[in-house]
Amino acid sequence: MIVSVDVILGLSAILFAIGTFGFLARRNIILMLISVEVMLNAVNLSLAGFSRHLGDLRGQVLALFVIAVAAAEVGVGLGLVIALNRNKPGAAVADLTKLKW
Amino acid sequence: MLTAIFYYMAGASVASALLAVTRKNPVHSMLWVLALFLHVAGIFLLLGAEFLAAVQVIVYAGAILMFYLFVVMLFNLPEEEARPRFGNHWPFAAAVGLSFAALAWVARSGSGIAPAQTRLATESAPQGSLAAIGMVLFGPFALPFEIASLLLLAAIIGAVVLATRRTA
Repeated sequence: MIVSVDVILGLSAILFAIGTFGFLARRNIILMLISVEVMLNAVNLSLAGFSRHLGDLRGQVLALFVIAVAAAEVGVGLGLVIALNRNKPGAAVADLTKLKW
Repeated sequence: MLTAIFYYMAGASVASALLAVTRKNPVHSMLWVLALFLHVAGIFLLLGAEFLAAVQVIVYAGAILMFYLFVVMLFNLPEEEARPRFGNHWPFAAAVGLSFAALAWVARSGSGIAPAQTRLATESAPQGSLAAIGMVLFGPFALPFEIASLLLLAAIIGAVVLATRRTA
């Protein structure tokens, strides 16, 4: 083991926090989705770290499933962005008030 | 030596993640996220997860990021860049992120996950081999694997339905 699993979990926590901040603070919907990708990467990192630490390959398989779900999320999410962009040009979430009462 | 490489990868991924969520130009954000994905793939390699590193580069850096870049190209970027990049509530977002990091840090140091480290030394050799992952993926995880393919099919159909222009 190059580094202890604690270091990897700490790195994963930092990356997840950065992704959370980006998702909550950015106003551009594409960059919010990118922040979600950062968070998913942080989770994959901790899964791979646990897989290594416990000598169990199931962590890596779970990370593969996370990647598959991320691909599906991007497909649907960006489809929604394109559909929204058709009704109202731009990607600012502050403009999306159609469902607001 | 490998430890130094790991710490380089860790520092570079944190720096590129920070830059990715704070740059004003969306294309610059995409490129920093690309740097983040490649460094995380490097960490996967160091952790003995070679297949995961390859999937990270091909699927994340190759497919997903290209998709994002294509969608960014459809948008009117100068107009977006004129707006403030963060909402007025960004200090609250920073507080949420920092408190999550603090919480995870505390949970990490308090968790009793250390004892398994002795087991690793005996059975670390075949860790990342593709055949072993395939055996797990098509053995105990065969049903989730099929469900993942169903999920991807649903996502394809959903993306087509959402993105096609209705002429009626």
